[in-house]
Parts: sequence; C-alpha cells; structure tokens
Amino acid sequence: MTGHAARWEEIHHAYGAEDVVHGVSLGVGPGESVALTGPNGAGKTTLTRMLVGLVRPRAGRVTVGDWDVAARRPDELARRVGYAFQHADLQLFARTIAADVAFGPRQLGIGADHVPGVLEELGLSAVAGRHPYDVPPPVRKLVALAGVLAMQPGLLVLDEPTGGFDRALRETVVAALRRRLATGVTVIAISHDPELVRAVARREVVMEQGRIVADRDVE
Amino acid sequence: MIGFVPGDSPLHRAHPYTPLAAAGALLLAAFAVGTPAAIAAVVLAALVFAVVGRSLAAIARPTLVLALPTWALLLVLHGVLGPEPRGLLGPLSLSEPGLTRAAVLGGRIAAILVAFLTVLATVSPARLVEAMTARGVPFGRTYLLVSTLTLVPRMRERAARILEAQQCRGLRLGGSPLARLRALGPLVLPLVLGALAEVDEQVLALDARGVTRGARRTALDPPADPAAERLLRWALLAPAAGATMYKLGSAVAAFVASRAVAGL
Amino acid sequence: MKPVVRLGGASFSYPGAAVPALRDVSIEIRRGELALVTGPVGAGTTTLLLVAAGFAPRLTGGTLSGERDLLAARPGVVFATPWTQLTGLTHTVRGEVAFGPAAHGLPRADVLEAAERAMADLGIAHLAARDPATLSGGELQRVVVAAALALEPDLLVLDDPAAELDPAAADALYARLGRFAAGGAAVLLATPDPGPVAAIAARMLALEAGRIVRDGPPAVARPS
Repeated sequence: MTGHAARWEEIHHAYGAEDVVHGVSLGVGPGESVALTGPNGAGKTTLTRMLVGLVRPRAGRVTVGDWDVAARRPDELARRVGYAFQHADLQLFARTIAADVAFGPRQLGIGADHVPGVLEELGLSAVAGRHPYDVPPPVRKLVALAGVLAMQPGLLVLDEPTGGFDRALRETVVAALRRRLATGVTVIAISHDPELVRAVARREVVMEQGRIVADRDVE
Repeated sequence: MIGFVPGDSPLHRAHPYTPLAAAGALLLAAFAVGTPAAIAAVVLAALVFAVVGRSLAAIARPTLVLALPTWALLLVLHGVLGPEPRGLLGPLSLSEPGLTRAAVLGGRIAAILVAFLTVLATVSPARLVEAMTARGVPFGRTYLLVSTLTLVPRMRERAARILEAQQCRGLRLGGSPLARLRALGPLVLPLVLGALAEVDEQVLALDARGVTRGARRTALDPPADPAAERLLRWALLAPAAGATMYKLGSAVAAFVASRAVAGL
Repeated sequence: MKPVVRLGGASFSYPGAAVPALRDVSIEIRRGELALVTGPVGAGTTTLLLVAAGFAPRLTGGTLSGERDLLAARPGVVFATPWTQLTGLTHTVRGEVAFGPAAHGLPRADVLEAAERAMADLGIAHLAARDPATLSGGELQRVVVAAALALEPDLLVLDDPAAELDPAAADALYARLGRFAAGGAAVLLATPDPGPVAAIAARMLALEAGRIVRDGPPAVARPS
C-alpha cells in the first residue's frame, strides 16, 4: 500500500512531438478533496485520464491505491475510480434515465437497488422514466454524474462537473460531493468554477503548461 | 483507414474530379467484364490506382476487412453450392463454373472497394467543396456528397470517445459473442443519438451563415483544372461508359432475339 | 430609432409540446445593446434567443403567437458546443471563418478581407492555416465566434458561449462582445451564471417557466 488514493510519480507525456506534461509528481491521500485548476491545455485532463487507463504516460508511474494503472484495463479501474467526463452525452444510450444510471452498477455487478436513491439525491426522480435525450443538456450532464455516483467508487474524478450549470444545479452537485466526502470517498475535480472549488475542495493544485505551479490549501 | 489521408501523391494534387472519374471508370469496367482474366485486369488497374495515390498501405486493412466476409460467402454460395460439383479438393466437392462466378464477383467487389477507398483517401473534402463550388454546383448537393464522404472519419472520432466512456462504466470489450452483441447497444446508440441531437444545431449554424439563401457561393481557392486533366477524365470515362453501353446493348439485343425466336 | 427586434405578447411552443416554451413575452432589443438572458434549466432562455433571431419557428417548427418585428438583416447565432457549429467542409480556420461571407456570394477579395478582420478581432490570426479539427475547445469557440462576426450581423445571439472556456478566455470573449455591441450591433447572451459577464451588460432579462420575470440592470443574483 502506498497510502495514497491516487499518485502520479515523475510523469512525462507528449502528444506527438508536443510535450503536455513535464515531470509532474502528485499524491492525493484517501478522503482528500482536491481541485485541479489552471488554464485550458495545462495538462489537467491528460493527468486525470491516466487514472482510468485512457492515457499511458510516456514516462513515470501512476497508481490508484495499490494498483499500478499500467497493469489494468479501464473497465477494471472502473471498480475503484468513478470518472465523470466533461461531455456527458457520450455515454447516454438507455431507453430511460433510470436504466442508464443503472448501467454502470450492473456492469460492475453491484446491483441497482441504490439507483433510485441517487436519482432522488440529484433531483432526477421526476424524469427517471424519460429518455435521456428528452431532457435539456444540463440535465443530461446530471444523469451522467448520477451514473458515476451509482457505481459507488472510492475515488471520484470529475472533469468540469458544473460546466453549463446554474446556481441550483451547482448546489445539487456540491451537496452530493460533500455527502460522499463525509463517507471517506476521495474527490479530484478539474474545475474553472471558483464557487465549486470553494465549496468542496480543501486543496487546490494549479497547473500551467504541463507543470504544477502551486499546491495550496483552500479557505 | 477509411477517410482522407493527407499526402502529396499525383491523386492528391490532381483536380478532385479526376480521381472520382478514374474510380467511376473502374466501377463501370468492373461491371462491364465477365471473365476471371478480365476482372483480374480491372483489379490490377484498381491496385495501380491505389499505388498512384500512395494509399495502398492505408487502405489494405479496411479493404480486406470488408471484402473477406463477402468472399467467404461467395465461395460457399457459388463454389460449394454451385452447379456440377466435382471432387476438386479431396472430399470437398466444388463447382468449377461456380468458382469462376465467385472469382468474377469477388474480383468486382475488390476492384470497387479499392477504387472507392482510394478516392476517400486522396480527395480532400475541402478541395472537393471548392471544386464543386467553382463549377456552380448548388450547395445542397455539395453538402450532401461531402458529408457522406466524411461520415466515417467523423463517426470514428466520436466512437472512440464513446468507447472510452463506456469502458469507464465497466463495459468490458471482447469476451463471448453474446457479450460482444450486448456491448453494441452502449456503443452504437450514443453514436446515433448524439449525432442526431447535434443536427439541429448544425442546421441552425449553417443557416445563420447563409447557406439557405440560395446565393451562388464564392469559391475562395478553386483547385486548378488543366485541360490535360479534363482530357484524361474523358479518356478514362468514355471507354468505360462505352463498354458498359456495349454490354447493355448486347444483352438487350440477345434478349430481344431470344423473344423473337420463341415467338417464331 | 426602431429596435432591431421587438416581441409583443409573444408565445411559442415547440412542435408536439404540451407546454409553451415562451409565454407572453414583450421586449425590445436595440442597436448597441448587450442584454443577458438568464433563468433555470428549462426556463426558455435558448428558446428566447431562437425566437428573437428568427430561427424559431422557421427552422425548429412549432407555433408562434403574438407579435414579432424582426428588423435584423443577418442574425448570427453561437451555441455552447463549438464543434457542432463547424461546417466540416473546410480544412483551415481561414476557410471556416470565410464560409459565411462566401455563402453570400460576396466577391472573393471582400470575403477574405472580412475573414482576416474577424480573425484579428478574436485574436486567432495565428491559427489561420490550422485545421479546425486539431484545435482545442477554447480555440474552436473563438473560431466559431469569428465565423459569426465575419458576416457583421446586426443581431447576434449567443447561448452560453463561454461554456468551454477557462475564466481568462471567457473574460476576453465577453470584452470582445461588449466592443461588438458598442460598435452598433445588438447582442443577446444567455448564460447560466451571470456573474462573470454582468460587468459588460447594461441589461438582464430573467426568465422563469417561459415568462420574463425581471427586465432591468443586472443585479447580484439572490438565492431563490
């Protein structure tokens, strides 16, 4: 056990000839709540995608708990890491919202009994029987988040979870994340939303041009 | 690789209509001939076409992926189940006329695939749009053609991202045939639904840019079309069209003659 | 001076919808005005943009009742997701930005000049020769806005145009839109979070369930 929920050690990565991550080392402890901030193109999404095996770094080691990510497939890592993508529409396909949210838990074999609870928590009970594409885009994003939360991961990784959200939807997300943090779930959130960062994160890691330029507490 | 691959071959540099004409000629020739020797010549011509476009390596895999199942089917339908089977391969009896037919049909498919994939690989969609605009082709037709040609590359990018998202929800790739079948829904449905959902915005965006006004589009960078190339297109298409006419004509004549004989 | 668009008691329903998306909306938008449109999900902010700019019901179907006087010659629209607004028919940013003027059949020299101006305006002249398919979300959104501005619309409606942008890029975009309005165009901008953009807007329209519940200078949003 490394004692970390997630850890990047001396990570270098490039797309083609262009370096996108330069020697980044970062450790996130169990139960921590970390915001990953910085301008677009800084390498934040690249780093988080390494946690679910979607990107293999050119150099360096990435671990999730005691698992070396290089030895695991994305669907195996899904047991420990819940990844909420920035663009939710990519994964919605079921005939009803409830069925879509239940997809992940069923794939993991953990059953769908707790799905109604997650739908209730995110204010989706009223639309649970509707087709995912019958609701507006921000609601679809909530549905995708519900699908991730329903997998009950120990590590939640979120890429711009409140993008396009108004105040009310943001508060729904904040409440859901706080509830999970209270039970010991680790949260890593990429976000441009200063209100989300303030409300949820204890630690802010700032990236610029592939490097960590600041690592500080959040008031 | 299905889709445009940037490059510097003669086909890339030619006016976009020229590779299209060559592929059209190959298509017509493939249907005009009926013997294994002749179809082999057409297939060879198609392969030369791909080599001229420096696309053979890029299109090899998709050609085989698309052709092999069809070839296997043809072999069974015509080779095994065809007329006058003889024991040609030990205990397995094959039909010689059937094999001949399978060879011709299989060759036809191969020639068409290679020609079509080479066109996709060497004709830049943007240059084709400019060429069609310069010719005064109405925008609707241009958009329809080019969108169809670029469909696969556009979908592929999206499909890759859907695959990632579903894997992160625990979808396992591979496994039993039943598992693979079950995986189709989560992979194909978002592709279709997502594409459909975007159509509305696309329509609005294009309309706002003025495409529905019916004005004649200005071509900004029309590809050069030297007289020699125009002549080449005629030289390629005319014989192929002629051969097709001849074949159709003789088939019609034979039919009429047989009816006449029957009526006598 | 006549407004660029005037709605009088306008109601709009999408085809087959049980409930109207807009109810009894009466507003006037004038040249040089930059107005924000906000409201909770489903309140009708996007619909208001589409109806005001004349895209609904013409392209969306549905029924519009009440009055609409639309005097804008060339309304432009920008959505939140840049890649759905690419034509997919060009291989350079310059070609993409020039697409609108070219579609209007303007002379080649004018088309290219309009494109260069719009690209310089949005700070993307250095991307002119790049393939749009290789750009990041933020760069792409600037291309899309430039493509809309290349036509010099007199009414520009934008639906959460900064959704893909980081705060610095969003501020730059809002400032640019402010200058565009100051130059004489009318701008309607829908955003779920008025905070970052309130500084450049003189007016904010708040919608709830299809109705305008507030129309005045932007104020700090109070929790409801």
